[in-house]
Amino acid sequence: MLRSFLMTLVLGVAALPVAADDSSVALDREVQDLKKEVLALNRELFLLEEELLYPANSQVALFVSMDIGDFFSLDSVQIKINGREVANYLYSEKEAEALIRGGVHRIHIENLKAGEHEVVAFFTGTGPQGRDYKRGAELRFEKGLGAKYMELKISDRQSKLQPEFIISEWE
Amino acid sequence: MFRRALAISCLLFAAGGTLAEVGEPVTVRDPHYGDVLFHFYKGDYFESLVRLTAAQEKSRVDNHAEEAELLKGGLALSYGLHEEAGEIFDALLASTTKPEIRDRTWFFMAKIRYQRGYLDEAGQALAAIGGELPKELEPERRLLHAQILIQQERFDEAIALLDGWKGPKGWSDYARYNLGVALVRGGRFADGAALLERVGRLSDDRDEMLGLKDKANVALGFTWLKNEQPERARPILQRVRLNGPFSTKALLGVGWADSDKGDYRSALTPWTELQARNVLDAAVQESLLAVPYALGKLNATRQAAAEYESAILTFSREQQRLEAAIADIDSGRMLERLLDAPEQSDASGWYWQLNALPDSTEGRYLYLLMASHQFQEGLKNYRDTLALRENLQNWKSSIVVFESILETRAEGYATRLPQIEQSLEAADIGEIRERHAAMQARLNDIESRRDVIALANRNERRAAEELALVKQNPVLQYSTPEIEDARNRIRLMEGVLRWSADRDFPARVWRQRKALQDIGRVIVAAERARFAVDDARINEPAALNEFDARIRNLEPRINEKLIALEQSLDRQRGYLHGLAKQELRQQYERLDTYTVQARFALAAVYDRATAASNANGASEDTQ
Repeated sequence: MLRSFLMTLVLGVAALPVAADDSSVALDREVQDLKKEVLALNRELFLLEEELLYPANSQVALFVSMDIGDFFSLDSVQIKINGREVANYLYSEKEAEALIRGGVHRIHIENLKAGEHEVVAFFTGTGPQGRDYKRGAELRFEKGLGAKYMELKISDRQSKLQPEFIISEWE
Repeated sequence: MFRRALAISCLLFAAGGTLAEVGEPVTVRDPHYGDVLFHFYKGDYFESLVRLTAAQEKSRVDNHAEEAELLKGGLALSYGLHEEAGEIFDALLASTTKPEIRDRTWFFMAKIRYQRGYLDEAGQALAAIGGELPKELEPERRLLHAQILIQQERFDEAIALLDGWKGPKGWSDYARYNLGVALVRGGRFADGAALLERVGRLSDDRDEMLGLKDKANVALGFTWLKNEQPERARPILQRVRLNGPFSTKALLGVGWADSDKGDYRSALTPWTELQARNVLDAAVQESLLAVPYALGKLNATRQAAAEYESAILTFSREQQRLEAAIADIDSGRMLERLLDAPEQSDASGWYWQLNALPDSTEGRYLYLLMASHQFQEGLKNYRDTLALRENLQNWKSSIVVFESILETRAEGYATRLPQIEQSLEAADIGEIRERHAAMQARLNDIESRRDVIALANRNERRAAEELALVKQNPVLQYSTPEIEDARNRIRLMEGVLRWSADRDFPARVWRQRKALQDIGRVIVAAERARFAVDDARINEPAALNEFDARIRNLEPRINEKLIALEQSLDRQRGYLHGLAKQELRQQYERLDTYTVQARFALAAVYDRATAASNANGASEDTQ
């Protein structure tokens, strides 16, 4: 008798889907509905926040992107706009990995008046041969009407076996 | 331990782990799509979904329209929104013409259908995949196919599908294990045993694979025991690590293998080792009965009786603890402790798993419960609902800030607009622009006539004026050698002056043009400011009203949802407490059964002892 119980226990550990009972199905549906509704609310709130705080006419957003990452492992990015420090972001391992896989990080968003501005970025991390590496890049740009998106791009320069850091306006 | 126990189901249930693998090199053409991917790859599905739907609403991901829709479906699936994911995939299949998008969509449809238990439909979705999936998805496609076949009891097809396959991260071995167990359950011992044997002999030292090996060996060992072949069971059970999570079951099995062969003395070795272990373990509880059983068989009656009495006492103490644990669950603290337990994964949705159990009264008893898919899913839902509540509570605070920002902006508008209008009206930009145009025309005229004196500097102009005055002197009309000399000197000075002005003329024209351009830019900026003020005058009141309306609309909806979340949390707590108590009661009842068995066995031991004593007494009397 004892052994038959344990037999069931041992052979029952295969992790196959378990039929759910009515109450768990109802609760699961309830949670799905709540998630859906809260997501919709979040979308509206996200847009409200952005439009209220960063109207399209004055909005400038900076995005960090990275490709391959063979020659550079990113630790942090510091950004100055018109000499004023606006962002100093430390990347976790997961975030750096997300960048290499094609993710683009919106590191900073703010309002700027129409006219000429300067952005300077410093990239800190580990470069070729595992050495500490810090490089800067800068760009003067004209802010007109409409939102402006800038790309802070880290890429591998195969010909020189070095990383390359470029700031450009996102076309 | 719980992470591994559920590993195989999670491979198939959690789209997140594999959806992330869809990450073929992507050329991001819209920055906001890249931003969505960034949060997605971080495992933050909720944030990723919010940003994606917002970006879609604002047409910011138009260059990735179909990929974005596919990603949205995958994200919804990862976040546990199966119905929404299904709707998205259905719509995508109806609209897309790209074969690679169709194939990936069919794959995710298959996963959803499998999760809902629609095995035939899931198989049909897999069959609809026409080409190759991205290489990261292929192993999961095969694993999913194998799982479907196993559950449909199409074992031969499953065996053929897994034959010779080496999936990533030991997936194929998990599938073989599941197939082996399914075959054994279905009565095909030889086939099942062959697969379990293969998994049980894996040469892979990773922790998770060692765990899988142990599990396969325990399953196989017990299969042989069930088939009354203890001599085959023993060496297999002995492969199980002595310190692993499956060691107690293996020790119990080794004991049974020995006892089945009639070698009760050998059986006592693993069973006695088990007795010293944690009494919460079902195998340990069973050893408490197995040891006196073996002692009884060895005619050690007195020791057997003592062991049965000790087991009854242990079971009784355990039941008292269970009663206390059930009372503790009733107090409502269980879930809080579970969620506060260390080493929790920070992923959301279906990928989240409980890694460790809290050290609490009832926590000690919940091992079996935690291994159940139903409880884990319920707990995930509870945790996600808590996160939703926190999210809305944060927005509730933000809304107050938005109201304040809007108020400040409205005040600023009301105060500053008249001042700005006044200063802009004081400067007649139209008149300034006309003057600028006149200056521009004059410079053009000077340049075309090469009027070098018109651009002469102050000294040159003074010199030119003085020379003009000198030339008007009547004396110069006389003709004397001295006056002739003076006229020559005046001509010479005029020549020098003109030569000098002529030399600098191009540079002076350039400087003038630049100055006029600068003025032009200032005029443009002033006109832009004028335009902005006009625009603000027309649009700002409407924009302020629109923001105000949006805030007023959102605020009550947030409050309403917070109440709904609170009510749902109550219901979920009730459900999870119910499941936990049900599990503890089952454990309690099992101990009841063990206690009854122990009492019967004890009575039998006493009976046998009494009978033996009587027989001895009768024999002495006869003598």
